[in-house]
Amino acid sequence: MKSEPRTKTTVLTFTALLATLISIHAASGAAADMLATPESFAAIADTAARSAALFTEAGKVLTHPRCMNCHPAGDRPRQGDVQRLHQPPVARGEDGFGLPAMRCQICHQAANFEPAGVPGNPAWHLAPHEMGWEGKTLAQICEQIKDPARNGGRSLEDIVHHVGEDHLVGWAWAPGGDRTPAPGTQAQAGALLDAWVKTGAVCPN
Amino acid sequence: MTTLTVTINGRSYGPTEVRDELTMNDYLREYLGLTGTKFGCGAAQCLSCAVIVDNPDGSSYTSPTCIVPATSFNGKSIRTVEGHAKNGELTVLQKAFIEHFAFQCGYCTAGFLNEGQVLLDRLARKRVPRADLEKTIAEALDGHLCRCTGYAKYHEAVRDVILADPQRYLL
Repeated sequence: MKSEPRTKTTVLTFTALLATLISIHAASGAAADMLATPESFAAIADTAARSAALFTEAGKVLTHPRCMNCHPAGDRPRQGDVQRLHQPPVARGEDGFGLPAMRCQICHQAANFEPAGVPGNPAWHLAPHEMGWEGKTLAQICEQIKDPARNGGRSLEDIVHHVGEDHLVGWAWAPGGDRTPAPGTQAQAGALLDAWVKTGAVCPN
Repeated sequence: MTTLTVTINGRSYGPTEVRDELTMNDYLREYLGLTGTKFGCGAAQCLSCAVIVDNPDGSSYTSPTCIVPATSFNGKSIRTVEGHAKNGELTVLQKAFIEHFAFQCGYCTAGFLNEGQVLLDRLARKRVPRADLEKTIAEALDGHLCRCTGYAKYHEAVRDVILADPQRYLL
């Protein structure tokens, strides 16, 4: 039969893919509000597949409203778990800290101001325009994060530090009010990305 | 509790022990009786609560007060609508608002007045080309909501003040 070799290849590819998916599912089976540990991905023998799976798990954080709201595609941040456009209308301005007449820090103080429901951090601002994630797939975000031209000139180690230790990013895990925290902990997210880098920083398809 | 000292319309207030949860709007209105600063939406979306914050370098900006803690104004110098007129004499901008019938119920006026005054102060420090004037005014007043007269009359009032003294405000 002429088609037999192709059928065998297809079956083998499918089997390998299925095995990988099962491994990823087993490793990243953590609930949506939790993160799997890097060690739990050890069952994925293929390093590249493990790396991509690690990033996929970390993607639960990167695509969470707490992160995405300040990585908008346009010039206006979003807010809340439903990711509505920021009210009052504000814009990123030249430096990401707002327009001259409406700087982020005018309303966003050094810490949350719960009586008014206003989140706060000393460095409250938008990610630069080139670091916008809104509307992108996780694979696209991954490639973007690796590109210094689109990640704020950061090395991969800098990315690990940014996610795992940055104070403003850390707000995502203690947002206060009725905001849903980012999954897991900041340290866990940093550990996942650290493991991702050490396994070749492979992006998911 | 935090100790608050703030200069308002040139007069120093405090030190006063205030709750960390106290908004600046409540401090102005309930503690000091400065009710010219309004409470509107309570979410910094209408900006009827806006006051002027004066920086030490002479620049200024407006800040909502309804969502901002009073303690964040510690050590700062601000202006409210009560501080514009001197010895009963209205400012040029206040007169322009009246001449243009810019307000009806007046609830938003304090915010617009403060924003317009900040714009005038800014242009006096850094003039803009005449061609950019309309856009500059529109952007400055953009965040303020008015439900009575609309926005054109406020815009026109600010524009008239600027055009009346082009050497001061325009390139």
